[in-house]
Amino acid sequence: MLLISSIIGGVLAGGLCGAVGAICSRLKLTTMAFSMAHAALAGSALALALGADIISLAMLLAIATAMILGPLADHLRIPIDLASMTLFSLYNALAFIFIISAPGPALMTESVGQLLWGSILAIRPMYIAYLLLASMIVLALLIIFWGKISSILFDIRLAEAEGVNVKAYKYAMLVIAGTTVTLALRMTGGFLVFSLLYVPAAASLQLQARMKNIIAASWIFGSASASMGLLMSFLYDLPAGSCITIAALIILLAASAYSRLRASLAAGRRA
Amino acid sequence: MEKGLEQNAVELDSVSTYYYGEKRPALRDVTLRIPAGSLALIVGPNGAGKTTLLETILGLLRPRSGRIKVLGYSIPAEASKARALSSYLPQDFMKPPIEPFTAREVVAMGLASSSFSGRLLESGWKKVDRALELLGMMDHADKPFGKLSGGQQQKVLLARAIVREPKLLLLDEPFSAIDLETRSYIVGEIFPGLLRGGCTILLVSHDLDCSSMDADLVIRVVDGRVGQVIMRDAHAAH
Repeated sequence: MLLISSIIGGVLAGGLCGAVGAICSRLKLTTMAFSMAHAALAGSALALALGADIISLAMLLAIATAMILGPLADHLRIPIDLASMTLFSLYNALAFIFIISAPGPALMTESVGQLLWGSILAIRPMYIAYLLLASMIVLALLIIFWGKISSILFDIRLAEAEGVNVKAYKYAMLVIAGTTVTLALRMTGGFLVFSLLYVPAAASLQLQARMKNIIAASWIFGSASASMGLLMSFLYDLPAGSCITIAALIILLAASAYSRLRASLAAGRRA
Repeated sequence: MEKGLEQNAVELDSVSTYYYGEKRPALRDVTLRIPAGSLALIVGPNGAGKTTLLETILGLLRPRSGRIKVLGYSIPAEASKARALSSYLPQDFMKPPIEPFTAREVVAMGLASSSFSGRLLESGWKKVDRALELLGMMDHADKPFGKLSGGQQQKVLLARAIVREPKLLLLDEPFSAIDLETRSYIVGEIFPGLLRGGCTILLVSHDLDCSSMDADLVIRVVDGRVGQVIMRDAHAAH
């Protein structure tokens, strides 16, 4: 039962991360995951220091970060990536202070361990329900608003000049990305959530040339990476995050090899 | 009067624009009237402020002082409404070969920007194909945008600008990579059609060849100021 729910959770979380990662990398928002993941870490450390619920406070701080990241970058007139790394530094500093202030061996607690390294045990029915809801929302938004989203992905300045509310879409994207990271890091851990966001996107770029197909392939590769990784974690009793990262990298290498083979076959046919 | 049907498509009164952190204005105290349905040629040397003028008109750059009205809408407060009725072709717009959109998709984005969700119906796709055909780009419709030549990319972007059926068309050096024959076709066939439909065209160029174009007014920008406005028609006023 645990294995089945893990695979379902992996398929959903991996797919969501893959699709969001493909969009974020296109928008040059790759570092936003650093600030979100470390916001969750600082939140969990704060919860330990205060004796509050670790998961709730971690989620709250990560989603709050997603919501303030865009306005903060605009206010400071700096790129979102730079604002993200600024918050990343702040959250690291706060996490150390909270961990030192926490009573007892904070880093050894199971909840903090789950946030740092990820765990198969995090995949419970309510978690799967959240993932399913988030996946349906993201898919619906992509289908309904694809025309405008693609315009922003093509050229943000041109989209703005044509009257698209670029700021609203950008902020919404950050909140979606923040929610995705927050949900996924319970499974992969804060240190390895990036692998599920960006490695599937890199693999899809090996095989696909059109944006729609890149997002779809990234969704599939993310699902495959997470479910394969969780299966490995279950079978060999290894950390979930590490296994997911290795699975994602195997898929990337396979995609790259296939892409090169396809290109050389095509060149051979032309000759 | 219905918005978009004003006598002047663009009105600027004592407008000054600064780039962030700059003490010297990029546009200084510009007052200008561009009548609706006219072709205005904006000329001047490199760095004179021509692009800044276009981006200020669209509200992409916020003026520090002065008043701007575009198609009856105040800029920047109602910029999104004015932009929805306008099209813009930026200067030196080139994408790398890995660009993940086809030429047809890029033109379709022009229509998608104007509707609520951005989804195109069959009639929308027909308009997209007509615009591509008009610019002679139908054979390249399904090619990746980034793999087109510079001139072909400019034609696709012009198709994207036209497909929106704009009331105001702002073109920043639109012919920099386009051959003379196509340039003559655009100026001689496409522009008159747009003007007859009530569109106002603002065309930036530092290329003197364009000065021979049949423009209703020629605006010379020098060092951030409107140095001279030459009018062909009596109703165009500085």
